[in-house]
Amino acid sequence: MGLRWYHYVLWAAFIGGMFVLPEFVSRGTLRTLIFANFLAIFAISWDALSGRTGYISFGHTFLIGIGAYTTAILTKRFGVPVEVSIPLAVIATMIGGLIVLLPALRIRGSYFALVTLAMMELIYQLVQVIRPDLTGGTRGMSGLPTLTRGAANGYYMSVSLMLAIALSTWLLMRTRLGTALWAIGMNEDAVAGSGLSPTRLKMIAFLTSAFIAGLGGAVYIHYLGSIAPRALFDINFVFTIIVAALIGGAGTIVGPIIGAFFLTFLLEYLRPWLPGAERYMVYAGLALILYMVQPKGLASLVTDAAARLRRAP
Amino acid sequence: MLQVLIQGLLLSGLYALIAVGFTLIFSVGRVLNLAYGAYLLIGGYVYFHFAQTLGLPKFAGVALAGIFGCAMGVLKYQLLVKPLKGNHVAIEISSLILAVFLQYAVVFAFGDSSKILLPIIPGVERVAGAAIPYSNLFAAIASWIILIALWAYVRFTHMGRAMQAVSMDAKGAAISGIDANRVNMTTWAISGTLGAIAGVFFASYTQLYPGMWVAPLIVAVAVVIVGGIGSIMGTLLVAHIIGFLEVLTSSLIAPELRGVFTMVLIIAILVLRPQGLLGREEL
Amino acid sequence: MSAALDIKGLVKRFGGLVATNEVSFSVKPGESVGLIGPNGAGKTTIFSQIMGELRQDAGHIALDGTDISHLPTPRRIRAGVSRTYQVPRPFSDMSVAENIRVGLMPDSIWQMIRYGPNHDRESELALSVGLTKEQLQRQPSELSMGDLRKLEMARTLATAPRLMLLDEVFAGLTVNEIAIMSSLVQSMRDDGMTFLIVSHDLKALEPLIDRAIAIDQGRLIADGSYAEVIADADVRASYLGAA
Repeated sequence: MGLRWYHYVLWAAFIGGMFVLPEFVSRGTLRTLIFANFLAIFAISWDALSGRTGYISFGHTFLIGIGAYTTAILTKRFGVPVEVSIPLAVIATMIGGLIVLLPALRIRGSYFALVTLAMMELIYQLVQVIRPDLTGGTRGMSGLPTLTRGAANGYYMSVSLMLAIALSTWLLMRTRLGTALWAIGMNEDAVAGSGLSPTRLKMIAFLTSAFIAGLGGAVYIHYLGSIAPRALFDINFVFTIIVAALIGGAGTIVGPIIGAFFLTFLLEYLRPWLPGAERYMVYAGLALILYMVQPKGLASLVTDAAARLRRAP
Repeated sequence: MLQVLIQGLLLSGLYALIAVGFTLIFSVGRVLNLAYGAYLLIGGYVYFHFAQTLGLPKFAGVALAGIFGCAMGVLKYQLLVKPLKGNHVAIEISSLILAVFLQYAVVFAFGDSSKILLPIIPGVERVAGAAIPYSNLFAAIASWIILIALWAYVRFTHMGRAMQAVSMDAKGAAISGIDANRVNMTTWAISGTLGAIAGVFFASYTQLYPGMWVAPLIVAVAVVIVGGIGSIMGTLLVAHIIGFLEVLTSSLIAPELRGVFTMVLIIAILVLRPQGLLGREEL
Repeated sequence: MSAALDIKGLVKRFGGLVATNEVSFSVKPGESVGLIGPNGAGKTTIFSQIMGELRQDAGHIALDGTDISHLPTPRRIRAGVSRTYQVPRPFSDMSVAENIRVGLMPDSIWQMIRYGPNHDRESELALSVGLTKEQLQRQPSELSMGDLRKLEMARTLATAPRLMLLDEVFAGLTVNEIAIMSSLVQSMRDDGMTFLIVSHDLKALEPLIDRAIAIDQGRLIADGSYAEVIADADVRASYLGAA
């Protein structure tokens, strides 16, 4: 995989830094960090599919929602232990994702984005009316078993999950598979013209994305202890995930993490000035400007600077 | 039965008006304007502010909504679409961000809670036990007039025909000396105006709230997908299919499910017939 | 011994337009055949059908005696045929080496993950088409048209074809670059590669081919030695008619 010494050093520093962080910050900040971790997981999931292959998913919370609802229903209605329900939720997400994907794979470009958007609205409406005794209908469910108690434990759990996902996705994307997925985003026909099946590659990207989304969604729900359809299947939630990945830098692993932390803390720091939802105005405006100025994201500012340093005598 | 028919016709007229602005952009610029729903949002609030809060005449309120929409269309083209030079993914993503920005700009200016628009024309007509507000009737008639005007504009004016040419073959149009920049800008302006005016009607149909842009966007998307890229007549036809589907679903099955079949239709058509039901590519 | 490429009764219609009309011909192993004809004659459409990028409405395509008419593009490439494009289309954000890497990849996800890239093979391919070691880390946007065509050749060669389809390989090249490209094709011919070449530059094409096939309005109008085909009355008329 072409790992260099500085890769080990940087990852060790990053992981070490994340683990000692609770010693230096307040409880409130810790809760913000937890949300940033989950957002980073979702952004990595989105990026594994859309950032790489250029197939933009506007309904990514569809996947997160399958994972979340599966484990919520299993634990709440059938008393399945969390250790069993989370793996089942991940499997359900991957299968659910595949059922959508198999037909959607034929669709290119903008239309793929539309199918995913329609899918999200569809599941939002269905969840509320079909078997509300299972899903909790419009109000969702509360009192779900939680995995951890206290902010510090919640932080360690979320950060471990985020780092594990980040590291394994990073390693996976450094292989030739990552290169091939990236190639699809640039020119799908030329990938087929190189003797590789774009369909199979897209399927792998989708399954990777669904795995991460399902896992993240399921654990997230057991951190919150409740689930509500509008909070999940919401275009603003999708928006936050996409913006996190893009602001940080699509097609990288560090990018979505940087983006997620940047956005979460931006919202937190705006709170004293703008207590209500209008904070999102600043956030969206900033996101728009950043995206227009540097579509490759914040991560590219870092790598560009590093490249310039290396080139300097 | 008569009730379903009338409600279906009224809703379909409105849907056609909502969808046509979106179709125009998709057809001429080949861009999915995900911020289109936000034109409706802004249109609704502009009308609310001027006609209801400041008490200007209602007609002036609608006109101002149209002017705001027009300005937004032009600004979006100049500041967003043009700099991104045909990078569709980037345009779509930045459109989505813009829509969310506008949603919260509205929250900032008007607050989070929903507003009730007073009917444009007060009064209710009773037909076969169904209450039909004059406002809805007016909205449907206005939709029809606007659609016919637009159709005539595209058919018979120089600019309209240039739009047709660009939508059929952008490169060929450029070679034959059509100023694509002007055509695109005009299209964005018209689309913005139509969207904002549709927003006034749509808001008086349902209610005015900051998140109201998503539902009409989905309707517009559905119409475009089912109808195939951008024919005005196709838009009209499909708007009626979707409008009646919704009215039938909510009166025969369950009101909560009204959107489900629209969604199923979108997905089924995209998967089975990606070129759309009618599959024509001209305006 | 079966033909390297055997095409029988190929038909492709676009609405009312017949782009390929009952085209049949074959190419022997090791042979190099030129495909000529005026603009819009259907040469590129034939390439696209051989590669499976367009599906024929009727007819059969066989590679080394195996019918590939209904295989998807990637499987045709595995069967040993590969093409270049009139307008080179590299992976724009990737380096030259990475571009070649994609061509070298096995069609097995597991092997892609398990084994790293073969850097030696990448540079070997780049050098074999006349790119330099320094250019390996360049972006396609920094390359000249001649070098872009070389990259395209390298990417095509990476899939280890036995039959190569070259579409307008000389277009946009300087005289100097044409000479380089020409000797590259020549040396590959000497190594036994089979070619089907489309070119408008007949002067550059002539020395590279054993045989010529002329197409006009989707129909095959002449098949024979270059001199015969060029002297053919129909061929002369088709070129004049188009001009």
